[in-house]
Amino acid sequence: MTDAKKQQSNKLSEAEAIERAKLGDAEAFEALYNLHKRRVYSLCLRMTANTAAAEDLTQEAFLQLFRKIGTFRGESAFSTWLHRMSVNVVLMQLRKKGLPVVSLEETMETEEDAPRKELGADDARLAGSVDRMQLQRSIAALPPGYRMIFLLHDVEGYEHNEIAEMVGCSIGNSKSQLHKARMKLREILKTSRAEKAAKP
Amino acid sequence: MTCEEFERVLPELGDGHTTEQEAHLKSCSACSDLVADLNAISQQARLLQGSEEPSPWVWNSIEVALQQEGLIRQPHLARSQPPAPLLGWKLRWLVPAAAMFLVAFGVLMFQRGTGQPPVAEQQTPPVGVETAGLQPMAGDDLQLLKTVGERMPSMRAEYEANLRSVNAYIRDAEESADSDPNDEVAQQYLRNAYEQKAMVYEMALDRSLP
Repeated sequence: MTDAKKQQSNKLSEAEAIERAKLGDAEAFEALYNLHKRRVYSLCLRMTANTAAAEDLTQEAFLQLFRKIGTFRGESAFSTWLHRMSVNVVLMQLRKKGLPVVSLEETMETEEDAPRKELGADDARLAGSVDRMQLQRSIAALPPGYRMIFLLHDVEGYEHNEIAEMVGCSIGNSKSQLHKARMKLREILKTSRAEKAAKP
Repeated sequence: MTCEEFERVLPELGDGHTTEQEAHLKSCSACSDLVADLNAISQQARLLQGSEEPSPWVWNSIEVALQQEGLIRQPHLARSQPPAPLLGWKLRWLVPAAAMFLVAFGVLMFQRGTGQPPVAEQQTPPVGVETAGLQPMAGDDLQLLKTVGERMPSMRAEYEANLRSVNAYIRDAEESADSDPNDEVAQQYLRNAYEQKAMVYEMALDRSLP
């Protein structure tokens, strides 16, 4: 089967599963869960950096979705609907814990959080050699505000206007936070590489 | 254009650059390395989407909650696919442990909720308790339903349906496990079935307690 036909087949399966889930079909619920569990869980895991918390949030996101599935009319993609719900669940959890969702004022950042400016520095390039595992560890090391914007934009593919609406900041702030997150990641990755190279 | 000016506008840049910015990138290796690095980070990040998998218990919890809330109106009686095995785990010893856990949990919850004497002192259900065409229910299940009926009469029918469903799940799982004691998938299947029943008891008693 070609990729296009596979995609079409999957879309039909999801649409069928949604209609059956509205009628209370258990297998339909499970099919929808299996279709989307990895993306929802990955998002929750990277935002919380905690397996147990991520599993709880995944459960909550799907339960909220399934409770409201009767109201889904297909105006947007189901995955978009689920994903926004997942992001909201995570944001609510972060806010409950008093963790910063995003730095609303750039001056609030500490010296430690802000990436160091390296204009003209004679460092080796990262391009073409960004290790995936190392990137995951580096993302977990980002301050929560940077991490949120980076995950939503670079990992999950949201646009800045969507991110601004979800987290309650300006588009300009979203762009600025993303840039700082990437700069910070670059700094972490280079430091890590230098430390590895220095080991005997 | 200086490097400071270029980095000032960098957050606003999308995929395109102005002529002046392109010219600066061609003449400045530091800034062109910076842009290349940031693009590489962004591209590698996209590959992380959906790369992790939750443990099987997440779905089990969701399913039980859906059943309790009445959102599942056609519960599973038999599964076409057993849950994925837990790699490297030897689960044979967990089956009797899970069964003991279930019984002990049920006893403790009953004693807490009803003040009833321990299970050993309770009588087995009388003959003829079976509803036509349905499997007879054990004494613990009947006691749970009696408690639910006294405290939440409107929920009794739903809990009875859920108990019958999870008991059928346990019977299927026991048959699979008995037919091949070395089958780790079947053993995990059975463990999940016992856990689901424990969850049904816990939810029933949590809701019925004042």
